[in-house]
Amino acid sequence: MVAYQQGDLTAFDRLYRQLAPCLRGYLGSLVRDPARTPDLVQETFLQLHRSRRAYRPDLPVRPWAFAIARNVALMDMRSRSRRPQTGGELPDLPVLPEAAALGDREALRHALAALNDERREAILLHHVWGFSFAEIARLVGVTTSGARLRSSRGMADLRTALSNGGAATDRSGVRW
Amino acid sequence: MNDREAPPLALREAVARDLEPMQALAPPHVRALWMVPVALVLFTFAPAALSVRGDTQKLGFLLSWGASFLETALGLGIVAIALREAVPGTLISRRIISLVWALAIGTVTLITIMTWRVSPTPLLQDGLGFVWRVCVAGTFVSALPALALSLLLIRRAFPLRPALAGALCGVGSGLLADSGWRMFCHFTDPAHVFGAHILAIAAVTLTGAAFARRR
Repeated sequence: MVAYQQGDLTAFDRLYRQLAPCLRGYLGSLVRDPARTPDLVQETFLQLHRSRRAYRPDLPVRPWAFAIARNVALMDMRSRSRRPQTGGELPDLPVLPEAAALGDREALRHALAALNDERREAILLHHVWGFSFAEIARLVGVTTSGARLRSSRGMADLRTALSNGGAATDRSGVRW
Repeated sequence: MNDREAPPLALREAVARDLEPMQALAPPHVRALWMVPVALVLFTFAPAALSVRGDTQKLGFLLSWGASFLETALGLGIVAIALREAVPGTLISRRIISLVWALAIGTVTLITIMTWRVSPTPLLQDGLGFVWRVCVAGTFVSALPALALSLLLIRRAFPLRPALAGALCGVGSGLLADSGWRMFCHFTDPAHVFGAHILAIAAVTLTGAAFARRR
């Protein structure tokens, strides 16, 4: 990132390769419209470029990039004057390690789609993309305990949904 | 390298067109130091250029210059928080935002009550409108240089919640201005302080929020 700030174009290429896959997943989970995601990824990188001065080398890159992606998604949703539809499309998310035992991948995706937006975001940021709760707090503008609460309540909702869902089965094929 | 993960050509060209080297921003508390000269001018301008309030002896150092110094320190602290808010990935929580509002209002209220108790100076009815206009305009106008500089500083970052960052700059700048103006205005009547001085700080806050929204 520092090389990119110094005007190195290949550093931008490296940054894109490192960040694009996770930003695509994150933006997809926010807007839940696979057709919009590539445009939003591009817009995020354009905003990263415009705001590269604001990056502080003493801080990690990913929270900075995810915060900008989040803003891009919020602006997009605001301009379209609609909230993400519950049960809408979710990107192909990796199975959460903590939730893998609760059900199969498809059941998990549906349960995630039905979660409260804030809780789903906290779960994905923590369990899929490995952010600490302090980083999530600074990314979305809540306290660290607030971020932890969102994630733990989301996991509890996920467990309840998968155990009550009927269609959800665990990996051994046993119905919940 | 996976070709699928290479940046799209149009994006790469857009980046390449505008890729001059740039220096990274310093941490917020370091950038807030840019505000110190303006804060010092605001702290001293009204009492030096107009006059020092007549009840400074009665109030003592702590309730006169000490309270103004407290307002200045608080104003600088709030601008530093605004500068942190303006960097993506370091957003402040709603709890801190509430704490900032409570601290700003609480500090001014406490100073007002204590100065009123030590040196009660009510307004005369015939000069009410004139004094009100002087204090509202004086505080508001003297806050504008600090507001302009702090908005410039947050603009150099990349505020994702510009209205909030601008409002914080407004509160901080308003407090910086009031720290000097209260050393000129000797009317300690809470109705005057809340109706003129705090109203002016609120107006600076709204101005900051409105200007910061206009990217």
